[in-house]
Amino acid sequence: MTHRADPDRTFTVSGLARVEGEGAMHVVIRDGQVREVQLRIYEPPRFFEALLRGRAYTEPPDITARICGICPVAYQMSACNAIESLCDVTVDAPVVDLRRLMYCGEWIESHSLHIYLLHAPDFLGYDGAIEMATAHRDLVQRGLDLKKIGNQLVELIGGRAIHPVNVRIGGFYRVPTEAQLRAIAPRLERARELALDTVRWVAGFDFPDHEWPGELAALRHPGEYPITRGRLVSTLGLDIGPEELEHHIVEDHVEHSTALHARVLGRGEYFLGPLARFALNFDELTPLARDAAGAAGLTPAERNPFRSIVIRAVEIVHACDEGLAIIERYREPERPAVEVPPRAGVGFGWTEAPRGMLWHRYQLDDDGTILGARIVPPTSQNQASIEHDLFHFVEGNLHLADDELGRRAEQVIRNYDPCISCATHFLDLTVDRA
Amino acid sequence: MTSRAVIIGVGNPWRRDDGIGWAVAEAVGQRVGPAVDVVESDGEPTRLLDAWAGVDVAVVVDAVRGGGAPGKIHVWADDSELPSTSASTGSHALGLADAVALGRALDRLPKRLIVVGVEAHETTPGRGLSSAVAGAVEDAVDVIARLVASRL
Repeated sequence: MTHRADPDRTFTVSGLARVEGEGAMHVVIRDGQVREVQLRIYEPPRFFEALLRGRAYTEPPDITARICGICPVAYQMSACNAIESLCDVTVDAPVVDLRRLMYCGEWIESHSLHIYLLHAPDFLGYDGAIEMATAHRDLVQRGLDLKKIGNQLVELIGGRAIHPVNVRIGGFYRVPTEAQLRAIAPRLERARELALDTVRWVAGFDFPDHEWPGELAALRHPGEYPITRGRLVSTLGLDIGPEELEHHIVEDHVEHSTALHARVLGRGEYFLGPLARFALNFDELTPLARDAAGAAGLTPAERNPFRSIVIRAVEIVHACDEGLAIIERYREPERPAVEVPPRAGVGFGWTEAPRGMLWHRYQLDDDGTILGARIVPPTSQNQASIEHDLFHFVEGNLHLADDELGRRAEQVIRNYDPCISCATHFLDLTVDRA
Repeated sequence: MTSRAVIIGVGNPWRRDDGIGWAVAEAVGQRVGPAVDVVESDGEPTRLLDAWAGVDVAVVVDAVRGGGAPGKIHVWADDSELPSTSASTGSHALGLADAVALGRALDRLPKRLIVVGVEAHETTPGRGLSSAVAGAVEDAVDVIARLVASRL
């Protein structure tokens, strides 16, 4: 049913396809003007925050890993950072490396899933991965091969690929031997080749002219591409530590939406994720990844969210490259973990999940009992930017019929790879043209 | 060397009845012993393709919604078409029916695929199955044990 001529309409998109989890989009159009765009893709993990209260300070890596099947490592690492910083513990260098290597596995896995199964079908004109797999079996199989190497890396270090069990505050329960890590290197070399092929492939897609004009924010740490640590910096000069987040970023209501919107105080929405990381940390990519980006026509000035698929591919190259460097220098540590004596107070930590910065805060008693927890995932922070982007996109495409407008709007949403797998189960999209 | 049969529990035990798949798979493993491999899965399709790669029989157990009273057991065996609407209550971009379709497109289905669905009731965040669904675990194990025995 379409009402393309109606100056008043509302539309709802049900079951946002190919978005991790489900969500809903609701658009209200009155007198030929977009009045409201509501995106209900993300609910903060309040259940887990409540569950953590009263638990031991050693439990968040295991409990928060359950929040997301796609990025459990991100949850574990942000939790470790927060608690270790409060307890004033420094983790041994080889353990830091192993954490980073495991995180590289998660990036490879998450990015290749999004590129091949969720995002590429938009550019190639397929309804989804299955139609694409029928027409391009080898391509989809390449994506699955790449993803599997990421799984294997997470599994080797984390004990298993989903909800890894080997991570603990202070390090790991056990660490791989040098021989075990060396054995996976050839697969990672293969992944790097596949990733370079992926960059060349997606760089040739047809990208609509589109630009995200707002603030981009990502972690930054001298000498490395941001994965496991850093300060949060932005294109408008933000430069804060994790303990300062609540002084600079607030969640409030805006006129066109009922969802709470994360905003930089006194400014507005900001956008996290690959586009932001790349813009703010281009100089920290490995030379191979930087060259691949250059050959794909990317510069740090890139602001088109549709091109984020190319950046994800470049980040896979980086993750493989860095993973191989870590394996090369790895020496089995004397101990898999350092002792972490509990300490009363509030600890803050963040890392760069595949979708952007993931922040944790824990308040502990002196015996290490968790008195309070707050978790702010990247998708909840990006929700405002996505809505903002959609608002303008719908405004510029009102001539389209509901179904086509809905389909194109879904593509806009998928540019951001929103992760809503810990949110509600069922999604509805409605367009109200009255 | 792959096992001849794998029981794949799909779901999320932190969404109450969405944990039925894991519960049944584990119980089948205990009943049948080492003759089957048991895999816990969040239903992500590419991992499903890996989980059933090269086996003779794969049984996938998942929560379903919309087909009857809580605890009701559905079985789709061999070539019967999985209704996409009943594929999963799991919070995933692609459901079980998509995983099967993807496996078919890539020629990566097991020799025999059996899907067992158990009607869910509560899928809100939390631990523990609702009583009607918990009461279906043993029946589902019986069904699966018979199916596996008859097809191996």
